[in-house]
Amino acid sequence: MEFVNVQELVSTGVAEALAFYFIAALAITLSIGVISDKNVIRAGFLLIGVFGGISGLFFLLQAQFIALAQVMIYAVGITLVVVIALMLTNPRLQNEEAEEEAIASSEPALLKFLDSIRNGFPGLVAWIAFVTVYMAIRSEHWEQSTQTIGEDNIAVIGRALTTDYSLPFEFASVLLLAALIGAIMLAKAEKVEDTDTPREGIESGSN
Amino acid sequence: MANLLDRAVESFKRVGEGLKTVFMHSFREPTTQEYPEKIQDLAPHFRGRLALAVNPDTGDHLCISCRQCERVCPDKCIEITAHKSPETNKLELIDFKIDHGLCMFCGLCTEVCPTTCIINTNDFEMADYSRESLIYDIKRLTLTQDESTYYFDKKELPRPKPKAAAKPAAAAGAAGAAAKSAAAGGDAAAKAAAAKAAAAKAAAAKAAAAKAAAAKTDDGETKAEPKAESKSEEKAAEPKADAEAAKKDVVEAKTEDITAEPKADAEAAKKDVVEAKTEDKAAEAPEKDAKKDVKEAKADEKDPE
Amino acid sequence: MNAAEIYKLSRLAIFWLSVTFGAVWVACWGVGVFIPSLITGKMPFLLQVDNPSTTVVFIADLLRSLTPILSLLVFIPINAMFMVLFERRSLALFTVRMGPNRHGFDGLAQTAADAVKLLFKEDITPRGADAFMFTLAPIIFFAPSIFGALPLLAAVTNNHDLFKVANLPTGIFYILAAASIPVVALVMAGWASNNKYSLVGGLRSAAQAISYEIPLVLSLVTMCLLAGTLDVVEIVEQQKGGILNWNILGGGALSGYDKLAPYWLNLVDTSFDTSAMFGQFYPVPWLSSIMAFVLVICTVLLFGLYLTGACAEINRIPFDLPEAESELVSGYNTEYSGIKFAIFFLAEFTNLFVVSSIATVMFLGGGDNPIPKWILDRLPLEPISNALGSLLSPLIKDLMFIDPATFWAAFWVIVKVYSIVFFAILVRGTLPRFRIDQLMDFGWKRLIPLALILFVVVVFARTWVVCHG
Repeated sequence: MEFVNVQELVSTGVAEALAFYFIAALAITLSIGVISDKNVIRAGFLLIGVFGGISGLFFLLQAQFIALAQVMIYAVGITLVVVIALMLTNPRLQNEEAEEEAIASSEPALLKFLDSIRNGFPGLVAWIAFVTVYMAIRSEHWEQSTQTIGEDNIAVIGRALTTDYSLPFEFASVLLLAALIGAIMLAKAEKVEDTDTPREGIESGSN
Repeated sequence: MANLLDRAVESFKRVGEGLKTVFMHSFREPTTQEYPEKIQDLAPHFRGRLALAVNPDTGDHLCISCRQCERVCPDKCIEITAHKSPETNKLELIDFKIDHGLCMFCGLCTEVCPTTCIINTNDFEMADYSRESLIYDIKRLTLTQDESTYYFDKKELPRPKPKAAAKPAAAAGAAGAAAKSAAAGGDAAAKAAAAKAAAAKAAAAKAAAAKAAAAKTDDGETKAEPKAESKSEEKAAEPKADAEAAKKDVVEAKTEDITAEPKADAEAAKKDVVEAKTEDKAAEAPEKDAKKDVKEAKADEKDPE
Repeated sequence: MNAAEIYKLSRLAIFWLSVTFGAVWVACWGVGVFIPSLITGKMPFLLQVDNPSTTVVFIADLLRSLTPILSLLVFIPINAMFMVLFERRSLALFTVRMGPNRHGFDGLAQTAADAVKLLFKEDITPRGADAFMFTLAPIIFFAPSIFGALPLLAAVTNNHDLFKVANLPTGIFYILAAASIPVVALVMAGWASNNKYSLVGGLRSAAQAISYEIPLVLSLVTMCLLAGTLDVVEIVEQQKGGILNWNILGGGALSGYDKLAPYWLNLVDTSFDTSAMFGQFYPVPWLSSIMAFVLVICTVLLFGLYLTGACAEINRIPFDLPEAESELVSGYNTEYSGIKFAIFFLAEFTNLFVVSSIATVMFLGGGDNPIPKWILDRLPLEPISNALGSLLSPLIKDLMFIDPATFWAAFWVIVKVYSIVFFAILVRGTLPRFRIDQLMDFGWKRLIPLALILFVVVVFARTWVVCHG
């Protein structure tokens, strides 16, 4: 009995193209959703979907390890923590926003104009960055790789990380360590001055 | 570090112990009872649905319409309808309603009832389709004679005396006299026994009755103190009274009489606990046997408690 | 002795397992073997076609490649029904009760009735809930248990032709990535329900899953280190040949002893010089044996670590804080009803099955027979198997209905998986729920350091011992 290899079906010809367009469209739609959704938390969930789409693209490129790491670390690990952080802080953010709007409506015209510039600024930066990256990608001449993808690409990645690229790898880990220490310092309880009410100090420190 | 290891080992041991214990539970018989198939033998004083008992022996309704239960009921769920009979000038029960939807099964009504008519049965499956159907009228409340016997036996209630109207005058008089003489002895047991003895003799010789009663009193005082359930047998001049150790609480005295006694008389002689049955056969009961019976009766008496 | 209830439980298990796996195999065989053979004209006794058209061949191939997914779709609902019933009956056994015994024959149809009831219940979306996310959450919760279990299929069926397609070179990593997705669904469900209890349940589950995924993954990574591969089929292949080769006993550290045991026990050729072969497995005279022993301890601890992490990952007692009834009503699924709740329920039990299967594949040798090969060879089993083989030859050879190797692999996998499930139920019957701070302390201050220490110890110990990898 001979059986068809689904992976081959995917990696060759029409199936791959179709899958690519589908996943790309999904990812783009979701990312538009991320920036346009008023609800921050839903935007966070959509971001998880975007990362899932990107991991699908990696899958199409036969980069299974990176695809799975994308799901495991970006989609589930990091974004989820961000979403949770948003959930814990969200009510306060909404209140501030409402206050700001209330203040803005009673401002003179000049300040309103300045405000609109200020509000449009992130979008401007995003557009500039997008155009820059797009131009850079277009201007580059991409060669088709002749290297065949080994079945055991995890071993290749592991070897590369521990030999040729061990220095950048270690630097990245130092960066993470620094971030970790910073987070601990931020979250650390402040020294309690008043011994009568120790709980207050701890609570205000940890939140 | 060593401390941590110790604690880790300790916690492993404890968790393992717990797992073992729980696993060993699977070899125990389940304590669950499969309810509709097997109903647990409920305690005698279980307070279930209320019901009206009849006299276990005669089937007479025991309610005398005294309305004590109606008065004592905290939920006011009892409603008694009665009227005064023009003939006997006594209260006659017309209807008796209990709203079981209101009842909280406190059992106060059963405590106050002078004739132990209203009792808590063991029935607790009273689910119904409407609130109205939870109001039980006298038909649904009244137990049959068999059921009444069952609950009287189970709850160890004293047997009620039959209605006075049914008694032939002579027998009633004899029994009454015997009872009074026994009461002078001051002991319930003696009273009961005396009454029985008196009943046995009622037809033959009235004089002997007093004697027997006296003898009975001694017997009762010396041997059967606390309860009225002592069972003793007295050998009087002509009738041989043969007592048999009965189930537990109910004393059955089978009085054998040579001169065939009418049933009505024997029943008239029934007092409190003692059930006297007249039999036609002659029974030989030597004194030894009789004493044995007494001993047995005493042993029985201690056992149940 | 409570023989009656134990007998009922085992009868239930045997009945439902036969139904479950029988149904799955009949479906797989029908779609993956019978219909393709029929339409391409290769089925014996039936119509014979010499040159089937390309369309027909394509359809046949498509059917075959869809078999793994089909098997899971058939398997998951039936299995969940069985596991719920099994859990309830076992718990009843442990708590000296009887458990469900009304529906069907001694309660065999209880969960089937429950499932039907759940499907017909009203599906309510609470006011103020985010309807889209509310609907999406059960789907995201359930989907990973279907596609995440795919690579395991080949491993547990002795690499059967039908399930080979589903195997991936990154097998275990893929499974772990899939297993990490449901937590997103839990947070989503908790948030979308517009309910404080649900939200707290969702947040708790996220915190818990992220904390306990680390020791879980570390323990599996350590096993992969010993095996030298992420491919689950290969990992199962390495562990073949009896209990001494299994990963739980040193990840192959004892396989040298396993190979030499027949010589030492004078079962085979006694003149054979074992010392050379011994040196091949254990290069340094005394140190290697000690290190093999250390490896055995490490892997047993890693197995415990895996089970703990898995328990927390799938929110089972004693780590069921996200759905703690006494504190949070029922956590993230408080607001769910009807079919959505059914999907949550289904996925929860499927997850239990999946983590048990991972433990079986990674630690307990997959479909391997626990009896060492050199004992098995000396048992007079060959005549029996030959007799059975000739008896069932029409099924085996002509219809390809039974594949003996797959059958035995599946049998042992079922035994091992359900033993772990039973153990999980026992734990559920024994241990009380953790408090949230204890849970975090236990995860971060005990399990993760332990996992890291074991990782380092294994890395060093395996340099002196020849392991699977």
